[in-house]
Amino acid sequence: MDISQIIQFTFSGLTLGSIYALMAVSLSIVYKVSRVISFAQGEFFVFGALTMITLTGLGVWAPIAFLLSILVAALLGAAIEQTLIRPVLNSPLGTIVTMTIAVSLALRGLALLIWGRGSHTSEPFSGVEPIRIMEAALQMQVLWILGTTLLALLVIWLFFEKTMLGIAIRAVADNSFGASLMGISIRKVNLLSWSWGSALGAVAGMVVAPLYFIQYASGVLPMVNGFIAIAISGLRSIPAAVIAGFFLGFVEAYSIGFVSSQFAEIIVFTVLIVVLMIRTKTASRTSFDEKGM
Amino acid sequence: MKKTVMLLFSSAFFLSLTICGGAVAADKIVKIGGVYPLTGYLSWLGEYYKKAATLEVEQINKAGGVNGYKLELVIYDDQSSPEEATRAALRLVSRDQVVAITGTATAPITGAVSSVANKNKIPAILSSGYDVKADKEPFLFNTAHPTYFAIGRPFMYLKKQNVKSAGLLMPIGSLGEIGIANSKRASQDFNIPIVCEERFDVKAPDVTAQLAKLRGSTPSAIFSFTTGEPAALVAKNMAQLRFDVPLIVSHGNATPGFLRLASGFTTNIIVPTGKIMVPESLAANDPCKAVIVQFNNLHQERYGEPANYFSGLVADAVMLIIEGMKIAKSSTDPVKIRDGIENIKNFPGIGGVYNMSATDHYGTKMDDMVLITIKEGNWTQIQ
Repeated sequence: MDISQIIQFTFSGLTLGSIYALMAVSLSIVYKVSRVISFAQGEFFVFGALTMITLTGLGVWAPIAFLLSILVAALLGAAIEQTLIRPVLNSPLGTIVTMTIAVSLALRGLALLIWGRGSHTSEPFSGVEPIRIMEAALQMQVLWILGTTLLALLVIWLFFEKTMLGIAIRAVADNSFGASLMGISIRKVNLLSWSWGSALGAVAGMVVAPLYFIQYASGVLPMVNGFIAIAISGLRSIPAAVIAGFFLGFVEAYSIGFVSSQFAEIIVFTVLIVVLMIRTKTASRTSFDEKGM
Repeated sequence: MKKTVMLLFSSAFFLSLTICGGAVAADKIVKIGGVYPLTGYLSWLGEYYKKAATLEVEQINKAGGVNGYKLELVIYDDQSSPEEATRAALRLVSRDQVVAITGTATAPITGAVSSVANKNKIPAILSSGYDVKADKEPFLFNTAHPTYFAIGRPFMYLKKQNVKSAGLLMPIGSLGEIGIANSKRASQDFNIPIVCEERFDVKAPDVTAQLAKLRGSTPSAIFSFTTGEPAALVAKNMAQLRFDVPLIVSHGNATPGFLRLASGFTTNIIVPTGKIMVPESLAANDPCKAVIVQFNNLHQERYGEPANYFSGLVADAVMLIIEGMKIAKSSTDPVKIRDGIENIKNFPGIGGVYNMSATDHYGTKMDDMVLITIKEGNWTQIQ
């Protein structure tokens, strides 16, 4: 095994990890506010990517297409929250989660109707030539994903730490009844969290899309891996979910590189089981804490 | 009264699904069936099947039919599901009383049609990777080339190119297992050792770790028995790593969709397929050239697009039924038609020259397949 192979395994881990981490952030943001894992997050990933591809295909300048796609996803998220999630908001958690699964399936069907079965490609944000170290190569787009993840973390931190609305949202997440007694509108906070989460899902889709091919069902794998990442992080905090996303990516790539590509998936799930088992033994601290992230 | 209205409605519905070629009113008519995935995830394929079968039936009726009978094609949608395919095949056999069946796509769905056809002793000319064993299922034939041909043919080419070794990058799952088993067989038959073997998840967004590992064993070619996006991703990642060895992918990739996905990469992608993908490049003395060019021109004229590997499979299925009827001198007896098809010899079709026998219900040879690659955004034959 030569050094350039090891560098490539690392690059592959970074690529996979960056996707999982960004997806974990977008999942966490909805969870942080509403305490619900939205299984529709993978579909916002797809909607974001495909809307941007359609808009740029129509000749819209890429940065404008990017912003418009975010807007479309945010509005879609808000509309879904208003019409489908709000009526079940006071139901047991299981009902709400089931509703997000239903939303996910419906959105997938809608994407199929709009964009068909075929795969779509998206241009990298800054050139196709990768960064090369010896024989190893890292796509430039991965740096965009990393940058987006860091920016998302920064914005989330500033929002929840420094703005009145952010503090109000944390209050709702912590104790919605108490918050409502203080005059905070739980409905508005939920609406905001859905549109935020959807927008961030769309951003993830748009920055990840140039790495591979996007079609109506492409959201499933990032969603599942993002979910595994936040499960590994024990739903503690958003930065912990990001770290878990990268951890997952590196475990996968190094398993392929140093053990066997056939068993990489099994190794990833074994790690998940082991982490969850350790976590249940130290279970008392397992939830997003009340501080900023 | 209600019942009569219902009956009228349902009759009208099923008649609307029945496609008759040419003017058949005054003639004796015999029905052949088509089970195609017109909706569901394989609908893009089903459309090609339907177009090809319709075209062939029209042509034969225009030419006067077979043995004094005009053909009527009854098509049902299997909705890309084995359950619906079973229902469709049962309807064809029991209600429509077809004398032969064509279709469908993928081994599991075709398997559903196969068991109905074989049990009811109706010849079925399939067009998928379903493995037909002539001794066990005597009523089944297959116009799709056997999977081993699609893997052996590239190995045959690699041998000619004096390639010393190959590496495998196979999808996790049954397709990958089939790919590995057949590659190992081809590796022995053509004496090209497989020096490394990796697997990948078809939904993965990156396979560079596997490729870096493969490159460590310095194979002269990579074989990845996969179709569509995962095949294009392997090509993309190979280009990214400047891993400059030929990449051979499955025969399911000879589609406009794959061409669009994979056109931009520098990787030398080799796709095994039927001769119909390159009608112009065929040698003048190729026995199939006339049939292929004629069908392709008709297809272009009628549907505004060239025919492809998949349309060729079903066009051949209809042609084999007609030839079987001619040999059997019967257009109405399914058992005789089966015997007729089994006795087809030196029959030039779109997928190759068919030579059926009691032990071979495919009838084609490995070199009936050709290899194509992408040059300037178009398919080009590799000589």
